[in-house]
Amino acid sequence: MPISEDHVGRSYPATAPYQVSRAKIAEFAAALGDVQNPAYAGDDPVAPPTFAVLLSSAAWDEMFADPDLALSLSRTVHVDQRFAWRRPLRAGDEVTATLTIEKVRARGATAIITIAVDLATTDGEPLCTATSTLMHTSEVAA
Amino acid sequence: MSTLTATEGQVLPGFTRTFTRADLVRYAGASGDFNPIHWSDGAAAALGLPDVIAHGMLTMGTALRVVTDWTGDPGRVRSYYVRFTKPVVVPADGGTEVQFGGTVTKVADGVATVSIEAICDDTKVLGAAVAEVILG
Repeated sequence: MPISEDHVGRSYPATAPYQVSRAKIAEFAAALGDVQNPAYAGDDPVAPPTFAVLLSSAAWDEMFADPDLALSLSRTVHVDQRFAWRRPLRAGDEVTATLTIEKVRARGATAIITIAVDLATTDGEPLCTATSTLMHTSEVAA
Repeated sequence: MSTLTATEGQVLPGFTRTFTRADLVRYAGASGDFNPIHWSDGAAAALGLPDVIAHGMLTMGTALRVVTDWTGDPGRVRSYYVRFTKPVVVPADGGTEVQFGGTVTKVADGVATVSIEAICDDTKVLGAAVAEVILG
């Protein structure tokens, strides 16, 4: 059975705790070409805002591994992305991500899927919500 | 934290970044997104793409520098939205230039709304890109 409206509301267990490190912050900032901002350096750096994608993609993996949905990353287009932050991620934060399927519009082989990933510390402090719209095309039997 | 103010219509300093294959490989490693369409000619061709394309999240993350270069403090960014309207195609040789810019479109209740532009070959590669920034 491909993904359908019936899967709205499904959520997955929180991902394994990920510890944000100074080294990973520096690596991610460099990959964005942003080596000037002092906020990303020093003893107590914050992460670039879109660092949240590291956590949300781990939660995506859980959804793509769900056999009920029959999803394939190679047939998925990332349509849009929203982040809403409570505070920046900081070096030392232990973060988990929890994915919920918020909306599915299926028409033929194509499904438009809205997913929300909530990032929180292992102490339960909410950090960020990463909401994505995905367009998925199922393999159709000829 | 120093004070930050904004006015509607304020144009933020932009910049140009040239994306090379090495930049895409670096971002793949940093982000954990190893989808081969971002580094393999064969994988890109199999999907009918003209060439390898940059990670949408790399373009999104780079574009937000228009805001964080202005605020200094990345913690002032409250939200950020983009539509991935067109891929940034990155050939094996040379690189692809993308121009980034931003304009304050609204100031209300201590929050500035910034409209962000990312343009490659005279075409917008991010649609409706908007960040909300906490002032004060």
